[in-house]
Amino acid sequence: MNGYINVCDVEKYYGSEAGMTKAVDRVSFQVAEGEFVGVMGASGSGKTTLLNMLATIDNVTAGHIYYQETDITELKPDRLAKFRKENLGFVFQDYNLLDTLTIGENIVLAMTLQKKGKKEIKKESEEMMRLLGIWEIRNQFPYQVSGGQKQRCACARALINHPKLLLADEPTGALDSRAAETLLETFQRLNETRKATIFMVTHDAFSASYCSRILFLKDGKIFHELVRGQKGRREFLNSILDVLSVTGGEGDAR
Amino acid sequence: MLAKLALRNVRRSAKDYLVYFFTMTVVVALMFAFNSLIFSEEVRDMFQETGVMEVMLGLATFFIVLIVAWLINYMIRFILEKRSREFGIYLLLGMEKRQIARLYMRESVLLGAGAFLAGLVFGVLVQQILMSILYSMVLSDFRINIEFSRGCLIMTASCYAGCYLLALLRCKRRLKKMNIHGLMNAERQNEEIKESHEGLKRWLLPLSVLFLALFGAWLFYGKEWGTHTIILFLVGLVLVIYLFYMGLSAWIISYVRHEGNAIYAGQNLFLLRQFASKIRTMRFTMGTLTALFVLAFLGCSVAMMFNFYENQMLADKMPFDIHIHSSYVEDDFATELSVIENNVPIKEAYAYHIYENGTDVVNVWLYTHLKVFGDAYRKADGTPDLEAIRGERDFAAYCRYDTYMGISDYNHLRELLGLDTVALADDEYIIHIKDRVFRETGDFSDQLAIEGNGGALRFAGFHTEPFSQDGHNGGDYVIVVSDDEIAKMRPFYAQLAVELAGETPENLRNLLDDATRELDFKTSDPISDIDIAAMLNETECVGSDSILVWGANNLVRDNILVEMKCMLSTIIFPLTYIGLVFLCVALTVLSVQQLSDSAKYKFRYKVLRQIGMGAKEIAGLVLKQLLLFYLCPALFAAVIGGIIAGYVGGKFNFYAGVRTPAAVYFGISLVLFLGVYSVYFVVTYVGFLRNIESGR
Repeated sequence: MNGYINVCDVEKYYGSEAGMTKAVDRVSFQVAEGEFVGVMGASGSGKTTLLNMLATIDNVTAGHIYYQETDITELKPDRLAKFRKENLGFVFQDYNLLDTLTIGENIVLAMTLQKKGKKEIKKESEEMMRLLGIWEIRNQFPYQVSGGQKQRCACARALINHPKLLLADEPTGALDSRAAETLLETFQRLNETRKATIFMVTHDAFSASYCSRILFLKDGKIFHELVRGQKGRREFLNSILDVLSVTGGEGDAR
Repeated sequence: MLAKLALRNVRRSAKDYLVYFFTMTVVVALMFAFNSLIFSEEVRDMFQETGVMEVMLGLATFFIVLIVAWLINYMIRFILEKRSREFGIYLLLGMEKRQIARLYMRESVLLGAGAFLAGLVFGVLVQQILMSILYSMVLSDFRINIEFSRGCLIMTASCYAGCYLLALLRCKRRLKKMNIHGLMNAERQNEEIKESHEGLKRWLLPLSVLFLALFGAWLFYGKEWGTHTIILFLVGLVLVIYLFYMGLSAWIISYVRHEGNAIYAGQNLFLLRQFASKIRTMRFTMGTLTALFVLAFLGCSVAMMFNFYENQMLADKMPFDIHIHSSYVEDDFATELSVIENNVPIKEAYAYHIYENGTDVVNVWLYTHLKVFGDAYRKADGTPDLEAIRGERDFAAYCRYDTYMGISDYNHLRELLGLDTVALADDEYIIHIKDRVFRETGDFSDQLAIEGNGGALRFAGFHTEPFSQDGHNGGDYVIVVSDDEIAKMRPFYAQLAVELAGETPENLRNLLDDATRELDFKTSDPISDIDIAAMLNETECVGSDSILVWGANNLVRDNILVEMKCMLSTIIFPLTYIGLVFLCVALTVLSVQQLSDSAKYKFRYKVLRQIGMGAKEIAGLVLKQLLLFYLCPALFAAVIGGIIAGYVGGKFNFYAGVRTPAAVYFGISLVLFLGVYSVYFVVTYVGFLRNIESGR
């Protein structure tokens, strides 16, 4: 257990004994600090279930998930909420911004819930918004800005409290290609400059090519793993597409 | 197929709009119960005198039909908006507009019919409660008696159908205008928050508060009551009720925008934003709800005033079992006594006189000093307008002369009432005055000069026990002097006070009235040398009471109490009815709004959960949010209602003589209000949590 995050023999079953579905079947892997890990797989392969368990918003049926020394599968609901607040950040396909708050306020709220002081909140939120290029639109409401801007706001909110892990579920799913590229570059920059650990679920090979390592999931099991190593992004994309063509997965070579 | 779809949709929406369904049931139950008062044979017997109860309840029903129609219209429109996407899909599938309209109407009618039937069942129960209250108010024994008169059923059904018809007509127009694009997008529309001119709009908040303060000051301290001022203030009040919310929302938005310190603490930012955007989109509805709350508060408060009046004052008005007045000083009351004796054993009967000595010092003082008379009896320079005081009037507060009584008569009457007797020296006088009047005047003996035969009499004190002073032992007051003094005065009119040994028969007053009418007829014989009309005019005075004046020659306490209570209940019942219905309607709108929001916006709470809020924290947040949303219109209405009720209550106490502080009326209404309020609040809170939990 020397990884930053350790997933050990995690299983997730749905349904009764008669019609049991194994969404995740004895999956084990480790994530190192500052790593950008992608999970790929066809629909129903169990990738979102896996992410939800890592995100503490779904329980494991069996197995353990360790964040450094903490086993989150053993935590009570209240402790889990606290753990989530202090350690995790989320970015989802449909942004999940609060529509009654402006872009800036969405980020501020995440900090006020952590009971941070006004000065700190103002300083850090400004820094983060400038870093992600949304400072100019901070007074707009979500419905007034583009999908890409919304998603960058969601990223800012997810990262503002320096989480141990940033979880992203199909973050580019609702974006056009230009906005998707910008977002992924943002992820990469955050990963490189801020040493953010990112765990991203996607079915899009182009998005996955920004990761440093990719786990391929099929029928709830990890059946392949690709490490980018010293490869360029193009080259890595081709390797991904190769794997997908073998498994018949969805691919999108841009 | 359509019928099946309608039925299925109803089942689904009945679950979603349980609160609405519940309220419609309550409204039908109340309508049925109150209408049954109009049609009940027993009640009709009880209120023999007039159809006042019918008229008052009819009037209340009119306003209730309007408000319930508004509620139904609001709900139908609201459900339509919520389900616009579904209707859009029907249109896309090729259904005709007419078909959809028919489907939707059918659903609404089904939902309404369900509530109506449930309401009838519940209504029978409410009817019994209402009847038992009415009976206990008028001192009769109540036995359970379920009345299901056809008239009542028809009236309830037609009122209810009227509400629906009014609402459906409006809705039909809306359905006609719809198009697919509009329907598909309707759901998204109210998510757009347009903020403009907030800096300007926020000044509406302090302006509204200022207006309310002015309104209060004007009510309590203002003297000029021109029609223009009243209309101006009322229009202003209605405007303020609506503009307040615009101002409040703008104020909060400005506060958040200027990064006020409070937004950096915990969940405040979310709460404030949620609240501001909600009252912003709902500002007109919130205004209307506030107005309804105010009316409900006032209805209940005024009902309370009359209730207190009834409990405290009525018995005091008539301390003797029977008290008979005769302008004919020679009257020996033989006819009356025989009528009474024939019906009920007499414990004691005491006949005596009220005297006068040709002066009207006290009358003049009271006419010119009591607030109730204003400037009517004062000249421009402030001196008494004797012409007006002594001139002929149809209806006089005081008799032509001051009223006097001898000490032995006085003490005898006191004994009859179980009061201690009073000692009085020959050169002294005391004044027995109504408590209410004394509280206003205080000791004014130093401004009176009561002359006896041997010069001015010395004042020896006031007495304020209940003493039948609505024209019997004087109007408002009687001056008590020694028997020596009284012997030198002229008898003014005759009185008979009777204490009965048995229970008062129900029709005794009518028998007495019939007997004395015959007597009057006999005495108005042209041969008689007494000017009856002039005598009547001079000796009939009812005092300065103004809430309930019962000027009658023959006072039979137990008979009149029943009638008085009936009269009062014609005010209390309809007001309570209006108050309750308005309250339920307003709370329903609040609840349904919040519940549907909780379903529509459950993703907000999901997001909060993701950014680290636990279930308990979220439950706490929802509680705060609901409290804010519920309390805001209620508190605002309580302030407005409190100001008005305080003022009206003060005036009422002043005229009625009730000692209860005006705040108590309002306080009790507030407690009643909070009772109903908490039922709705708890239902909404539980439903809200369930809705957002279901998204997990």
